[in-house]
Formats: sequence, structure tokens, C-alpha cells
Amino acid sequence: MTTRERDEVFLELTRSICPVCKQTINAEVNARDNQVFLRKRCPEHGEFEARVYGDADMYVAAQRFNKPGTRPLTTQTEVKDGCPSDCGLCPEHKQHACLGIIEVNTGCNLDCPICFADSGSLRDKGPDGYEITLEQCATMLDAFVAAEGNPEVVMFSGGEPTIHKDILAMIDLAQERPIDAVNLNTNGIRLASDKRFVAELGRRNRPGRRVNVYLQFDGLDEATHLSIRGRDLREIKQRALDNCAEVGLTVTLVAAIEKGINEHEIGAVIRHGLVHPAVRSVVFQPVTHAGRHVEFDPLTRLTNSDVLHAIGRQVREWLTVDDFFPVPCCAPTCRSVTYLLTQGTPGDPDFGLVPIPRLLQVEDYLDYVANRVVPDYEIREALEKLWSASAFIGTDTNDDRLTKIADALDCADACGVNLPEALTTITENTFMIVVQDFLDPYTLNVRQLMKCCVEEITPDGRLIPFCAYNSVGYREQVRAEMSGVEVADVVPNAVQLKPLLVDSRYGSKQVPR
Amino acid sequence: MTAHEVADPTGGLGAEQVKACCATGYSSDLVTLLLGSSYHPGGTTLTRRLLDAIGLQTGERLVDVASGIGTTSLLAAQDYGALVDGVDLSEANVKLACGAVAADLADRTRFHHGDAEALPFPDGSCDAVICECALCIFPDKATAATEMARVLRPGGRVGISDITADPLRLPAELTGLAAWVACIADARPATEYRTLLEAASLQVTLVEHHTHALDRMIRQIAARLDLLKMIARPRLDELGVDLTRAGSVLDAARTAVRDGILDYVLVVAEKP
Repeated sequence: MTTRERDEVFLELTRSICPVCKQTINAEVNARDNQVFLRKRCPEHGEFEARVYGDADMYVAAQRFNKPGTRPLTTQTEVKDGCPSDCGLCPEHKQHACLGIIEVNTGCNLDCPICFADSGSLRDKGPDGYEITLEQCATMLDAFVAAEGNPEVVMFSGGEPTIHKDILAMIDLAQERPIDAVNLNTNGIRLASDKRFVAELGRRNRPGRRVNVYLQFDGLDEATHLSIRGRDLREIKQRALDNCAEVGLTVTLVAAIEKGINEHEIGAVIRHGLVHPAVRSVVFQPVTHAGRHVEFDPLTRLTNSDVLHAIGRQVREWLTVDDFFPVPCCAPTCRSVTYLLTQGTPGDPDFGLVPIPRLLQVEDYLDYVANRVVPDYEIREALEKLWSASAFIGTDTNDDRLTKIADALDCADACGVNLPEALTTITENTFMIVVQDFLDPYTLNVRQLMKCCVEEITPDGRLIPFCAYNSVGYREQVRAEMSGVEVADVVPNAVQLKPLLVDSRYGSKQVPR
Repeated sequence: MTAHEVADPTGGLGAEQVKACCATGYSSDLVTLLLGSSYHPGGTTLTRRLLDAIGLQTGERLVDVASGIGTTSLLAAQDYGALVDGVDLSEANVKLACGAVAADLADRTRFHHGDAEALPFPDGSCDAVICECALCIFPDKATAATEMARVLRPGGRVGISDITADPLRLPAELTGLAAWVACIADARPATEYRTLLEAASLQVTLVEHHTHALDRMIRQIAARLDLLKMIARPRLDELGVDLTRAGSVLDAARTAVRDGILDYVLVVAEKP
């Protein structure tokens, strides 16, 4: 008998959950065929493996971009059973909240085949649907302010927040508090048809209190819309964008990317964003296999590096993979970001586009392993804030930081070009691209989760890491508490789990009890 | 036939003229415009790698040859606790460097106006010497290497990071005077830097390739040009930047890096 070599490099031992029963179990992270996989075994439900990063080189290199965390002012729970069972936040959490999310309802005017929140029209009328009251919203905002002092940004989400009758009043509540910016996460249907509503949003968007529209936008092909949203929404999206531009609202295009559906549209979404005057940023999110989604194979699922490589291929005239850097405030493989300085519109003869990371050596500032001392701390601070989950384009603080970066291109004295001054006009044309892979019941890694900086604010005033909320069962718990009806755990629609799964009444999957 | 014999490396200008041109070139508006005022490939990340590779210790005396505006010297003093003497041929740079010294570093950093071919320090007076991205523009590299060896104590280390080039294969776009200041036209193969140091009785202990740093530099120059095209077109015209030609020079440089004609190396040697 001869010994045999393993075919993988063992990178890490961590904890995860069983995607079926949600019990906390050990997990290992391995590199194989230059990809990264997370594997775990549940004593009851067996072995599970999922692809967590498509490029092992990038995964390992990203680990240097890991900023020591900041403690929040307050935590809401005690440590009892350990992560991810004590959310949250508990005192063991490694990072404060860069972004707080308030889900104002569970109902929606769409019934998308893909929805991590498992929302929809059925939920709107169903026994376990709910919407929060203005009083609850105030409590949630206060909890966020208590934890953060002066939070940069709160996001209203759902469900579909624009169908909540009090959504404008909720934005007012946020703006009355020391919260710099509001993001409204929406499918755009109301924005396309209700100009008065858009005008009300525009009126609230003012210096120091920005309102940005976080618009679901998965692609430009009809097939993409039908597969992901169940409806061709192309005209609606265009009208929503135009209406926002009319009142000066900035828009982030947010694309859920699913393998085999719209991977090929990544470049087209960037192009569309660069062309439309309202759009200042684009976010790509590989589909989170929590809640409701189409059947998928965890072993071939899309990851951040796949999206980054697709960008490098699909808009190669503008961007390469090297133009993106990991965001150091959260776990560095969760989110990658770049900023572009642009002039004009693609297609114009004098259109110009320069990725900021080509202008200065970002790793000199954001590699926290090598750099005990950095060339300029003000620049590091500006870069840290730009490369963070709280960075939203168009906010005044973000513009200040971009101006600081212009200072770093030091030119004023020596070469007679005052770059910072010349760039003030261009700051208005800065464009941000974000790639964010959320953890789901298959990919959940407690090491990443413990440093998560995107938190769901619950009606009882807790701050629960977004990925724990979606994966571990907190969403179901909150739904049960809010509606008084028992809510079954949702289980991923993975091809390997098929024999176990039955449909829930909302289109998601569960295991029969 | 060695590379030395191919042609006059200064392109008929003579060593003194080239040296003066390089010193002014590095502090010139155009270079600042394209690279910033203290640029070298790899940035401070590669600087740290260099200081780690020579094993720089607290309290050691370090000479920084071609110290520019002093970024590396200050980093070595602040982060490694070294006592640093920076030397630069450009008086303007020395002034800027002196101005950048913070009060708490004043007793650990000094900057001198001086020539790499005649370092203003006694024999055997320092523990380490570094020279970042500058040897390639010195017309008399042998004398510069001998000078580094002279000021080192026995057991002292020299660390060099520099562009390497295979002069026989360099495309024509990269050999003109403009390219001199961009560190390219008189860069030598890595083997020749080794020979140069060995000829100065130094023992080479490490040769490391950092090709990526050079790719980054070319990308940065291209990006700054694109940015300046967007926001400062008149200034570019004023400085006589021929944008079409700049594009073809950058393309040639990219190709040369890809084909291994240009590279960036880190070399460490020790004085026996």
C-alpha cells in the first residue's frame, strides 16, 4: 500500500452551520485547482461543500487588507453559545456597523424567483408578513445611533420599502437623527410611476443629509428580467432612472448575478451606469442562496473573483482585476471596490476614465500586515473610508475623501497643475464599483461573520450581521415575533439537497417536519 | 561583445551632461507630473522589502543614495530606527527633504547635496547603503558601486532596487534622452548589476525579481497622462508633451516588460 497526497491545500479551520438544521458545526477551508472551498459535516445531515472564492491566489493575497476592527459604542447581547448564535451584536464581534439596514416590511409589489428576503405579494397578505410602525422605526434608528454615535448611512429595505405608507416619514426620522445619509433599496416600480414621490425624495436629498436610491438592476436583457424578477421591467427601470435624474437623486445600480443567467451582462450594467446621468455607482452581488432562489450547485456557484474577472473581460478597455482592492473594514474577501474618475459619456470622442487605484499605490496604505507606518495617515484614513461598507458616492463625506486622495497625487507645487482644484469638478463624476458576496447557509464562515460591518437592525433594537440574519435563522425568528405565527426555517435550493426539500408557500424551500 | 561595447550609452551626450540632465529630470515638472515627486516602482511596500532584505537594525547608520525628497530615508529612520544620511544630486530635492524632517526625527536624518560617484562620507563609516531606482541612471555605475563599497564597514550591506534591461533587445522608442530620466535607457541586465557589485568587492547574497512593480509604474504613468488629458490639457501642451508619442513609448515599455526585456530587481550584497 502506498501513501497518497491530498489534492488540496488546507487553509483554515473555522465554524459554519448545517444548511439544513442550522446547527453550528466545524468547517474547513481548502484551496483546490486554484479555487477556494468551504467544507463541513453535520452529524445528522452529512457533508456539504461550497465554492467560496474562484481564485485562490486572490483569496490569499486579499487577507493582508484586514483593518483592525473598531468597537461599537454599545452591544446588545451577551456571549452565551458563541458565534453565530448570540446576535447581536455581542461583545465578541470584531467590528462596528458601517451600514445599518432597516427592513420596513415583508410585502412587495413583485414576486421575484430570486429574493433572499423571501418577500412578495403573498407575504404581504400572508399570516407571517409584517410591517413596522413609525414608532418601531424610531426605536431601530435610536438603537443604531446608540451603537454608532454618528452613523454614516442607514438603508431602508424590505420587502419593498416604497410601498410602506410611512416610508417618507421614516426617512424624515432618519434625517432628524445624526445619520449622514439614507439609502432607499427599491425595485423602482413606484419611482417609475409616482413622480410626486420621487420629488419628495429629491426634496429630502440635501447637503449633509443625502438620499441615494439603491436600485435593483440585474441587466438589460429581457431573459435576465424574466429569470430573476419574473417580469420584464426594462421600461420601468429606465423611467425610474430618468425620474431620479430629473430631481437630482443619485442612483446605485444593484445587480444580483446568477450563474448561467446574467454573468454576461456585468459589463453592460457598468456601461449603462456610466451613460445614465443619475447613476454614480454600481454594485454586483453574486446571488445569495438564502431565502428564495433558483436551483443552484454550491460547488460551481459564482463568487467575487468570478465577477471581478468578468469585469476584466467584459469592459477590458477600461478595467482590469488589478483595479479592485479588498475592503479592509469587513473580512477582506467579502467585498472589493474601485473608484473611477470619469469625464463625459462613453461614446464621446473625448470620454475619459481613470481608475483611482492606478494613480496611487493603494496597498501602501491598506495592507495592514506589512505597513506598520504608512506614508501619510490622512490619505490612509481617506482610503479606509472610501474602501468601506459605509462609502456611498455623492455623500459630502465621500467627496471630502476623494479630494484628499487628489492631494495625494501631489502635483500642485511642482508641476503647476492644482490637481485637487482641477478635480473638484471631476469629483462630481466619480464612479464607484462594488463587488459583494454575502454569506449564505452553505458558505457561512464565522471568521468572516465576526467582522461583518453590515447589520440588520431588528424591531427590538438589536444589530444582527446581515449574513447571519439571512442564513442562521434570525430572519425567521424576527418574522415569527412580529407576526405571532410560527415560521419554518428556509433551506437553500441546492441541487444536492433536492430529495429533502419541499416548497414553502412563498416559493422558497424547507424540509418537512 | 558586452553591452558596454554596443554603443556610447549616453547616446553621444557625454556623461556629465546626462548626469545633470537626470538630476534636473527627476526634479523636473514633467517627471513630477507623470510620477509624483517621490516615485519609484513598488512604492513604500517594496522599500520595506528592501530594508528588510538588508536586515536594517535600530541604531544602524544608513546611507540613502539618490534620496530624492527623502521619503525612504524618513521611513527608515521612523520605522526602523536607523540613523540616515540621504544624498541627492538635486539641490531642490535636498531642500524639500530637509523641510520634510519632523522634529522627532531631526537627530536621526540628514540630507546632503552630493554625487553618488563621490559620497561625502569617510571609508567604512556606515552599516548599510541603499539605492532605489537610481543606479540605472548613473553614467559611471562602476564608480558609484565602488563608492558604496568604500563607505561600508566590513560586514555592511548594500541594497539596490532597480530597473533591469537587456540593452541589445531594447526597442528604439525606449532609448532616447526622454527615457533616460524614466530610468530605462541605461538600465542593465540583472547579471550586470551583480558583476558591478562584485567588481567592487561585494558579495551578492540575494537577487529578487519584482516585475509587477514595473507593470504598476507603467500603468500609473498611463493613468496620470489620461487624468491630465481630462483636467489639465493646456499644462501638458505647455510642457510639450506629445500625447501620441507618449502612448507609443508606454506601449513599447509594456511589451518590453512582457517579453522580459525590462524588469525590476532587488539585489543585496555584503562587504566581506
